[in-house]
Amino acid sequence: MISVKGKNNWPLIISRGGLFFVLWWILTDGVASSWWIGGPAILLAVATSTILLPPGSFVWYEFLKFVPFFLLRSLLGGIDVAWRVFHPAMPMSPVLIEYTHRLPTGMPQVFMANSISLLPGTLSTELDQDVLKIHVLDSQGNFLAELEEVEQRVARMFDASLKVSEGGR
Amino acid sequence: MTLIDYLSAALLIAGAFFFLAGTVGLLRFPDVYTRLHALTKADNVGLGLMVMGLAVQAKSWSAVGKLVLIWILVLLAGASIAHLVSRGALQRGIDLWRR
Repeated sequence: MISVKGKNNWPLIISRGGLFFVLWWILTDGVASSWWIGGPAILLAVATSTILLPPGSFVWYEFLKFVPFFLLRSLLGGIDVAWRVFHPAMPMSPVLIEYTHRLPTGMPQVFMANSISLLPGTLSTELDQDVLKIHVLDSQGNFLAELEEVEQRVARMFDASLKVSEGGR
Repeated sequence: MTLIDYLSAALLIAGAFFFLAGTVGLLRFPDVYTRLHALTKADNVGLGLMVMGLAVQAKSWSAVGKLVLIWILVLLAGASIAHLVSRGALQRGIDLWRR
């Protein structure tokens, strides 16, 4: 059912199975009789996830490192925008920039686009063929350094190397 | 009130403050893009703080898990919808406000 030639799938099945097991436990409070439904549901979820997100493309360790980074930066994002909201002069100088993705198409690009919308001062506006249009709240800030940091972290998370950009960002 | 109650109250009030900031931003900010900034970021932090404020009072670990799960789903939905609304605005040719 879940097999990719020449690869050992057990670590994948165990880690994803464990994740879905915990999710089911959370939803049902671990009621014993619910596992008659939960067991098959977990197996189906593992099988489906293998198709949607093929093995080897996600590094859990890097994801765990991303979580505190994201929590801290998104908290700062909230504080930053709250400060601008309540400031009498509403300090901001918005600008729309185009950022050429160096991440592979698909999940990594979407993950990055969604992340930056919650980080300080950036809002992903359009993702079209490797070009991500980003609305920046304050053109004076150092948003480029922030974007590059997110990009590198997402690349490590999806075990991808960044494409060499051809200028124009 | 116990220490947990004070901690919980402080987190809930801080969360409410960020929800207020998001709503004031929706009313005060000049265009659709800047309003989305205020809504997504402030409400995300507001909900995160509220989830923490409720989690410290939760009776079981699965209740904590449910709260965190709610936050993750709202976070995903919020970021995706902000992206879709701003993309829609851009495709309709709505220009961004400039200082």
